[in-house]
Amino acid sequence: MPAIEVLNLEKVFSIPQRDPGLAGAFKGLFQPRYTKKVAVDKISFSLEAGEVVGYIGVNGAGKSTTIKMLTGILSPSSGHVRVLGRDPHKERVANARDIGVVFGQRTQLWWDLALRESLWLVAKIYEIPKVKFVALLEEFAHVLELEELLSKPIRTMSLGQKMRSELAATLIHSPRVVYLDEPTIGLDVLVKERIRGFLKTQNKQNGTTVLLTTHDLGDIEELCSRVLIIDSGKLIYDGALETIKQRFGTHRTMKFELAGAGLASPLHLPDGAEITSQEGSSLELRFDRVRCSASQIASSVMSQLEVLDFSIGEPDLTSIIKQIYAGGLS
Amino acid sequence: MRYLELYGLFFVQRLKVFLEYRLSFLIGASSTFFMQAGGLFAIWAVMRVTPNLLGWSFDQVLLLYGMVALARSFELMFANNLWVVGQHYIRSGDFDRFLVRPINPLFHLIADRFNHDGIGNFLIGLVVVIRSSLSLNIDWNLEKVLCMVLAALGGGLVFIALNLITCVSAFWIVDSAPVTLAVHEWHEFAKYPLSMYSSQIKTALTFVVPYGLVSYYPALFVLGRDSSFLAFASPFMGMGLMLIGYALWNVGLRRYGSTGS
Repeated sequence: MPAIEVLNLEKVFSIPQRDPGLAGAFKGLFQPRYTKKVAVDKISFSLEAGEVVGYIGVNGAGKSTTIKMLTGILSPSSGHVRVLGRDPHKERVANARDIGVVFGQRTQLWWDLALRESLWLVAKIYEIPKVKFVALLEEFAHVLELEELLSKPIRTMSLGQKMRSELAATLIHSPRVVYLDEPTIGLDVLVKERIRGFLKTQNKQNGTTVLLTTHDLGDIEELCSRVLIIDSGKLIYDGALETIKQRFGTHRTMKFELAGAGLASPLHLPDGAEITSQEGSSLELRFDRVRCSASQIASSVMSQLEVLDFSIGEPDLTSIIKQIYAGGLS
Repeated sequence: MRYLELYGLFFVQRLKVFLEYRLSFLIGASSTFFMQAGGLFAIWAVMRVTPNLLGWSFDQVLLLYGMVALARSFELMFANNLWVVGQHYIRSGDFDRFLVRPINPLFHLIADRFNHDGIGNFLIGLVVVIRSSLSLNIDWNLEKVLCMVLAALGGGLVFIALNLITCVSAFWIVDSAPVTLAVHEWHEFAKYPLSMYSSQIKTALTFVVPYGLVSYYPALFVLGRDSSFLAFASPFMGMGLMLIGYALWNVGLRRYGSTGS
């Protein structure tokens, strides 16, 4: 049985239409007109237990709506959802026991309570035995570096501290399925690393299934072997991260550090390579690795200029995703 | 049982926070005091002009006032979040938090915040009731004591139930506070004897927005003026209204599930 099973899932919202101005507002009050917005458009996918899958798409693409249907907050307009074999909306309470959710920057902890008290309340809500709670708290406090924070009220915490606390609260009942909506947004690199490490361990130790929405492709690259891409409510890609990289990541960048400043004469480059920027003694090229190789370019540049150092950049996922949105996937 | 334990835990945590914020606690308590003092002053002013209000003396009207304050204090303490479910929870999306937890969302909403301002109301209500009943030389017996206790508890239920019924509108219009206020303000009538009002309003205050059951009818009984069953009706009416409120709440929840706002 898959952990998450989604078949032809659809969510349509009725949105009241308002004409501009005060007259329009009055008209809307007495003769409301609605337009239908298809937020999630007949998508299908399934996640096996223990998978960590990235769910990506621009704002408004339908990611949050999908997650709200998977958590049981929203009911589907049509289609079929099963999480651990249950209908999450109809069996909301039973489903809630087995899932954990992080909603971006919203906190599920009590603003004024110290972290330890908040976590204890959460544990009581999920009926976790005290012994287990104490053991988990110790583990989480260690991995997420919460020791110093346990006696601190949430309202006094920094963004990164809040998110680490949030993750502890989400995983304290050892959920089998976890939905994370932007868990690393706005955080610094060190905190991001810690959070990713924590999620990896949880996944490995407990076989936790994770569906992760993010704008941070670092999250995806580090955690997910598979991605789902949604655009205007439609699922436009479901597959390995590697496949996308290979299909769209044909463009690489190459950086040169030159001796002396600037180019004296125009540079001759192999077909498929072009200069993207040039500032002082640094030169950046972009090339299509199908049409020419990195070594061809390197030797070509070195034959014309004196090179101190050079490096090859990995394909940048942001630009790949942009290409896919622009309709490059068919 | 489990919910009772959970409520206790929520409550204790909340209490710790109050103790931490002594200043806010004091401000809350004193604002309650000033509001209640204002209310009492208004009654004093009215009764100075008409010392005998259709056969009701100042102390008797004070008894009504105290009973309303007492009953209302339960709503203030235990169910204050019903006022702000739209503004604080639905609008911000925090309501979703209740729906991903394995407990009843209405319980979670109510337990989420014990409101300490209610304590002041409770104490003032208690003092006013005791003071007025002392100077009224009420001939207390078991029935009368029971009537007062039931009026306070059942009255609290009436207050909470009416707020529950009206707060459900938050699922449609988000900010339900004005709707709740429109109904809630009727409790002001119950601070005076219902015999003052036209029969329609009296009927409304007995059966529709039954704040009259909180003060007027139990007071009639305790003062030995009347022994209508209405003196004991508030717990039943309160429970009935709670059931209606809970049914409506579930309709609202279904709507939330389809619109998400």
